[in-house]
Amino acid sequence: MSVAIKADNLRKIYSGNPPVVALKSASLEINDNEFFTLLGPSGCGKTTLLRLIAGFESITAGELCLYGNNISNLPPEIRPVNTVFQHYSLFPHMTILDNVAFGLRRLGTDKNKANSVAQEMLDLVHLGEYGARKPDQLSGGQQQRVALARALTPQPKVLLLDEPLSALDLKLRQAMRSELKRLQRETGITFVFVTHDQEEALSMSDRIAVMSAGEIQQIATPDEIYERPANRFVADFIGDANFYDAVAGKHKDELVEYIIDDITSLKGQRVESIKENDKVTLAIRPEKVSFVKAGDKDTLAGTVSDIMYLGNTTDYLVILQNNETIKVRAENHHNGEAIANVGEPVSLAINPAALRILKK
Amino acid sequence: MSNSKILQADIKISKSKDIRSLPGFSWFTLSFFIYLYLPLMILVFFSFNSSSSATVWEGFSIDWYFKAFANDDIQRATKNSLIIAVVSTFFATIFATMAALALSRNRKIKHKPMFMGLIILPLMVPEIVTAVATLTFFSTIGLSLGIGNIIIAHTVFCIPFAYMPIRARLQSMDKNLEVAAQDLYANKWETLRLITLPILVPGIFSGAMLAFIISIDDFIITLMVAEAGSNTLPIYIYGLVRKGITPEINAISTILLIISIMFVTLSYWIGKKR
Repeated sequence: MSVAIKADNLRKIYSGNPPVVALKSASLEINDNEFFTLLGPSGCGKTTLLRLIAGFESITAGELCLYGNNISNLPPEIRPVNTVFQHYSLFPHMTILDNVAFGLRRLGTDKNKANSVAQEMLDLVHLGEYGARKPDQLSGGQQQRVALARALTPQPKVLLLDEPLSALDLKLRQAMRSELKRLQRETGITFVFVTHDQEEALSMSDRIAVMSAGEIQQIATPDEIYERPANRFVADFIGDANFYDAVAGKHKDELVEYIIDDITSLKGQRVESIKENDKVTLAIRPEKVSFVKAGDKDTLAGTVSDIMYLGNTTDYLVILQNNETIKVRAENHHNGEAIANVGEPVSLAINPAALRILKK
Repeated sequence: MSNSKILQADIKISKSKDIRSLPGFSWFTLSFFIYLYLPLMILVFFSFNSSSSATVWEGFSIDWYFKAFANDDIQRATKNSLIIAVVSTFFATIFATMAALALSRNRKIKHKPMFMGLIILPLMVPEIVTAVATLTFFSTIGLSLGIGNIIIAHTVFCIPFAYMPIRARLQSMDKNLEVAAQDLYANKWETLRLITLPILVPGIFSGAMLAFIISIDDFIITLMVAEAGSNTLPIYIYGLVRKGITPEINAISTILLIISIMFVTLSYWIGKKR
């Protein structure tokens, strides 16, 4: 597998008073033919990183390579990379076909050839009939697909997508997810997708880079990001999690006792880099906690303080004996009855494999 | 545009306090418009008078229009006015477009608000000051090009008028369009030629119309700068009025009025188009 994009300590500072550090330092490798997502809250630097790759912004420091060629200083019109903009940015004075053929025409392809490739691309996004229209005669979802076709027509080595689904309504957004995935498979082009929506990221990506405060927090596959978050930020940003400060105790075989306080401790797997008495943060996904019968071994006792019904699941807030709160998510019974009621004493069990131990 | 929308929304919310529901509002509005337009209506009305009086009505006729059209002096003045307006509009619009592009797209230019202010400032300088300054300037450097002097002067004071609609259009344009063009392999010139300028056309047109009308209507600066034989229509009319008003003047003025209304309407209409 070859590397499509290699970023080495990329840094972006916007000059001004005071200067704004948009990207502290980002290093990553995006593989050929990969669906790669930059995920993070607004202001985390993900769009800046995308614009650096596209060439819309100049790089303050670091190096950017595209298939082994250093493109750090190339202007955008020379980089074989195309972008799908958040608000589409279709040329309003041109027809849909001219919009889609624009890239090829500028590359010097003659008009007939460019138009026929553009027409093929419009067919691919199911808009073959709309070539003669102007952008303002199409709906938002259709404009979105034109933007995709326009960026794909010159067959870029890498396609950059800047939150392309955020302006669409929910149903359309979900339909476009599988559409994007299909286009990526059919064209074989590397996609770099920017989003703040974790569901989008988890459902489409081969790999995800989670970003925060101008830095990359973790790069991994979706299930790894979810199951084995690298730090508290990632665990908190993706999905729900309960967090507890604890101290590592003595290990017994591969299990370690993590002591939260005098009366509460949890068993978890041993982590190579964590030694006895190290301070750690424990992260537990609410769906990994289960209700068990009282009196079983290694259970946590508590009282249900609040219940939130969510359709297929229910969230239970349980106050433990040390007064900490834990959120437990359980699938609902067939008859929709709650597993426990508010005020009821319950016992909880956590599989040691489900406990994430994060270094402080 | 957006201001008036906000205003409308405000009015909708506070319907009870709506100024339009006050007693006498419609009469007040009507008298306001009469105040504005009655003199013009009288001027147009007497241009159709059959007698040679501009104040006593004797019967309908369009003879004065024929007389005006046949008058050599009027023809010459009209020709001058048109040449001056067309040429100075052309150059003023080019300068204004370049200024607007530079000030909104060139990242390297510093102190943009100051430059913008300097471009628009002539709108606020009393015209007589500009006129005297221009005259002094021309005589200092000994420039004497006849109609050329007027064209140079008109080009200069038309720039801010052409500049404003162009700038407005440029401000409202999605900047990502140009970024998208570059992303799709267009260089800076192609981006300007294929994306920016075509989208800017309504603004440029609207600015040109305004510049044209300002040039056609100008009196004070032209009066100062004009040499013998390079009279424009407004100056010729002024000369006629001093000899006594005849419906011929009304006829010429009416034609000027119609041209002005046409151009302003066109400018507004084109500027509004997306």
